[in-house]
Amino acid sequence: LSRLPHVKGERIDRSTTVEFTFEGKRLQGYRDDTVSSALAASGRRILGRSFKYHRPRGLLSAAGHDVNALMQVRREGGSIPNVRADVVAVGANWDINAVNTRGGLARDQLAIFNRLAPFLPVGFYYKAFHGKRWFPRWERMFRTLTGLGEVDLRAAHRSTPKRYDFCDVLVIGAGPAGLAAALAAAEQGASVLLVDENPSAGGSGLYARGGVTQLADQTEALIAAAVGTPRIRLLTNTYAAGYYADHWVSLVAPEYLVKVRARSVIVAQGAYEQPAVFRGNDLPGVMLASAAQRMLYHYAVATAKRVAVLTSNAEGYAAALDALAHGVELAAVLDLRLEAGVDSIATAKALVSKGVFIHYGVKPIEAVAGAGGEVAGLVFESTAGVERGRRTLDLDGLWMSVGFAPANALLHQASARMSYQRASEQFVPQTLPAGVFACGKVNGIYSFAERVADGRNAGACAAGQLGYGIERVRRAVIPPRECPTHPYPVFPHPLGKEFVDFDEDLQLKDLQNACQEGFDSSELLKRFSTVGMGPSQGKHSNMNALRILATVRGEPIESLGPTTARPMFHPVPLSHLAGRGFTPERRTPLDSHHEALGAVWMPASNWRRPEYYAIAGKSRESAIADEVRAVRTRVGIIDVGTLGKIEVHGPHAAQFLERLYTARFANLKVGMTRYGLMLDEAGVVVDDGVIGRLGQQSFYFTTTTGNSATVFREFGRLATWWGLPVGLVNLTGHYAAFNLAGTASRAVLREHTELDLADGAFPYLGIREAQVAGASCRIMRVGFVGELGYEIHVPYQHAADVWRALLASGARFQIQPFGVEAQRMLRLEKGHIIVGQDTDGITNALEIGMPWAIKMDKPFFIGQRSLRILEKQPRRQTLVGFTLPSPGLTPGESSAQGQRRPKECHLVLDGKQIAGRVTSVGWSPTLGRCIGLGLVAPQVAQRKHLRVRIDRGEEIEVEVAQPPFYDAHGERQRVGDLP
Amino acid sequence: MRLSPLEPWFRQSPLAAMRPATGCPPSASLLATDDEGAVLRLEDLSLRSRFGCKGPGAETWLATAGYRVPPEPNSAAIDVDGVLVARIATAEFLVEATDGASGRVESTLRRLNERYANLDDDPPARPSDVYPVARQDLVIGIEGAATNALLRQTCSFDFAPLLQRCEPEAGSIILTSMLGVSVAAFVRRTDRGPVMTLWVDPSFAHYFWTTLLEVGGDLGRININESRRALE
Repeated sequence: LSRLPHVKGERIDRSTTVEFTFEGKRLQGYRDDTVSSALAASGRRILGRSFKYHRPRGLLSAAGHDVNALMQVRREGGSIPNVRADVVAVGANWDINAVNTRGGLARDQLAIFNRLAPFLPVGFYYKAFHGKRWFPRWERMFRTLTGLGEVDLRAAHRSTPKRYDFCDVLVIGAGPAGLAAALAAAEQGASVLLVDENPSAGGSGLYARGGVTQLADQTEALIAAAVGTPRIRLLTNTYAAGYYADHWVSLVAPEYLVKVRARSVIVAQGAYEQPAVFRGNDLPGVMLASAAQRMLYHYAVATAKRVAVLTSNAEGYAAALDALAHGVELAAVLDLRLEAGVDSIATAKALVSKGVFIHYGVKPIEAVAGAGGEVAGLVFESTAGVERGRRTLDLDGLWMSVGFAPANALLHQASARMSYQRASEQFVPQTLPAGVFACGKVNGIYSFAERVADGRNAGACAAGQLGYGIERVRRAVIPPRECPTHPYPVFPHPLGKEFVDFDEDLQLKDLQNACQEGFDSSELLKRFSTVGMGPSQGKHSNMNALRILATVRGEPIESLGPTTARPMFHPVPLSHLAGRGFTPERRTPLDSHHEALGAVWMPASNWRRPEYYAIAGKSRESAIADEVRAVRTRVGIIDVGTLGKIEVHGPHAAQFLERLYTARFANLKVGMTRYGLMLDEAGVVVDDGVIGRLGQQSFYFTTTTGNSATVFREFGRLATWWGLPVGLVNLTGHYAAFNLAGTASRAVLREHTELDLADGAFPYLGIREAQVAGASCRIMRVGFVGELGYEIHVPYQHAADVWRALLASGARFQIQPFGVEAQRMLRLEKGHIIVGQDTDGITNALEIGMPWAIKMDKPFFIGQRSLRILEKQPRRQTLVGFTLPSPGLTPGESSAQGQRRPKECHLVLDGKQIAGRVTSVGWSPTLGRCIGLGLVAPQVAQRKHLRVRIDRGEEIEVEVAQPPFYDAHGERQRVGDLP
Repeated sequence: MRLSPLEPWFRQSPLAAMRPATGCPPSASLLATDDEGAVLRLEDLSLRSRFGCKGPGAETWLATAGYRVPPEPNSAAIDVDGVLVARIATAEFLVEATDGASGRVESTLRRLNERYANLDDDPPARPSDVYPVARQDLVIGIEGAATNALLRQTCSFDFAPLLQRCEPEAGSIILTSMLGVSVAAFVRRTDRGPVMTLWVDPSFAHYFWTTLLEVGGDLGRININESRRALE
């Protein structure tokens, strides 16, 4: 292990030394070294412990997928868990420790699990958690033993705002194919966004050199051209984590998440090199050849002094040349094939001429660990060529180059159809969705020149399809002359420890056993064994697992198919997902006035509303009771601006409303209002409101707070569907509204309007338009709270003036602003329902005791047909009122008594059976007792008493009572001025 | 008296009190009332004279009233008086005085209301060929070097082409979602560069404005222009 002299194209800045601590030892690297490369240059080969068996692990991919090299980094500003050592640049004075150890990396006490492997079979978690008795013990043990890294709750706040970006063509992957695609698209006039997960563009073109600089030079030329093209924006250190419909792609940049909307997407992400599966393939020092090449060329680090290259493709032979070019002794090239491939022959000759021995027909038997736990030798068998038989090589590094798996997760997410191509032993796109292209290794193309040509064609086609330049036809993919991937690089050993999944510590036998237990489809195998479910998401294990499954089942791999790939296909930091989100909140124009009055806020849909107004020295319950009393005895005012407010215009407006509501509107007189109940097609109550007629062709109506947007949208849809030319206007946010209620309300309002408020001129349920305190208002005389009342609707920008004026003139009557809770009690006293509280998603209109609101003799309304059917059937439930036989109790009295009251959603019982639930309940200051509503089974509703299960399983009895509980004949809301 | 939906915010903001920011979002320290060093300029335009009208006869009625009516939906035109007419649907319009001309707009609104409220008929017919639409919008003007960066963090629509190619007197009306709220947006070129106008449901005013300031504050210094807080 050593830092090499300057290597052309190296990423490190040798002018700046970076000192850091690893596992308590002071070390140093250079600026832009990754943690792994700095450690490798310092002679550290064991970087972490494996997840389950706590085996020592080292470099594997050096490409962001080394999940056994996750670090806890303590630095100024806090501690960061799970830092990916293989790709994150080391920082000055970082204190770094491997995660998932107890007692440190060198002396991990949990390494005992390596000896307990026979007791940890595949599906261990499922089997362990199967029984209830042992569940808590297993849970405690797992929680103690597992977990990667520690979250530092004191860590400094990071701002990670999400953002959007846009382009004509998004090219994902800036290797040779991606660079060529970007250049071709830009040359035709398209704006191109080119992204790459690495610190610089170039991909394998910069490190898979074969001992010479020709390909790297060509790649550098492509990079220079791309950087010099104004229409190309290059984002490095940024990976595409997910593909979503309509060419939305999520990009993860170092500090934020980008949502890109592209008109075309080109996937040029290359391929992941795959490990061979043999005993000891996880020993530190055994790594993918591409990892060793990245170390050589990006960080000028030789990962071993004497290596063997285990290969089955031309890329392995090139890696052998790279080793020689940097003074690494080559013990041998071990080819799994019986002879070199057509593209490898020349390289093989060159190697032989340099004294390198090449073994053919190799079967690796076992990588042997030295005293430090690192690889020290390889036992293999050669079955072809001149030197056959079993041998042992002494070495301190083994580079594996036995094949690739295409990085096609985004294509899967884009609904591309894949087929298995035997010539390259990988899945390649068969059909791609419109606007999605693939090029390079994803297409099974591995030669540099072919990748560049494929990229250029993809870029030109993507741009052409968007109208830039000439529209071109996508070229046919030419299969490689030499297969880059071995069809089955799996070599069983009787003692096991042939690792398939390095994330989850899954051995060959684990997958074989899972298949034998019946989990023998790719999806079931994944879920039972957890293969591919670790942090690297199967990038180095899924294909080998699929090959093993195919072999066990004796079927071709193409008949199995890969598992479903879902976003995010690469882990995304929680900090990015938690970046600034938007939660819109609506406020009425009186919000600051409520605040000044001591409002205690509550959410109501996306609005905030005063629940009640706090009074110093009074409890919540007392304050609410005072508000109720004020309305019943004097006058109160409540902000109801959150109600939906909609206009309907046109000659067909009445007909339109007749179809939407259960009530009749054709005969509604101008200047009057009527209650309306809205149903869905199943007859279920979905909304209600008051509909006022402003003119022959104009109506103004309210909806519930939570449904205003839905109702408006649905009305628009239905108007179009029915072909009724009505005009709809949503005034919900543009109008404020408040309800002035109580015996003195008329006197208060009269001071601010010239409108004749006398009963004859403005009767109960009337609607008028008039000036109130100088503002043009709509006034509805309604009685939701059961008193003489006026609902005043006023344009938003004038609302504060009108509110202030009414409060001022109401002062002599001790006017009381009241909140949502008081209103709920006032309407409960009247037995008025709240849709969504006293109904649920299945409550139909026949179950709520409002036959007067349903005009079944109309030609049509939504839900009518269902109600006709339901009329003939027994009721499922019915709404009943009830009271608690404990008159005289006040809100402040005995909390023990208070706790014995039912609450909303408490169950009504019929014997041991559930017979319904309480929908509304509260203590009525007017009546001096608890009252409520409940949806119950009809047979229970007939009884005099209901049994309700309250908190802690206790049961109490309530008395059935017919609402309304107060002013049964509605005299108070209809009459004129009271004395 | 008309009050801007932002009147409560301005009343309580550090700018109104002319004192250093306290208890406000971190970005509040970046707020200012001058352009020096500002990357964004946000202006409350809510109290401009404005009305909406809708109905199958709205286009003809507006044209007869002397307004420059854009021929296509989702477009807007500004006439020589500085009156903007935005066609936000086939038969729905928003009319707003951008530079003066308030009297003309107010006068038209009065005529429209009188026509609609004509009670000569008994019962009143309330003509449905043209009817007024209440427009109590929160209206915000956005300009400055960081405009596109601000939009990139708040909206999934790509405004960059509009910011580059907008014209002084006509352009597209974009109906989109910004910060999770439905907005209508119009970009026009002025001598200061592109200026975006947003029309937002006023009930979102506090949320929309404070979130805009929070996002914008990350981008640099913001010049806040209160315009008018109240209008008699």
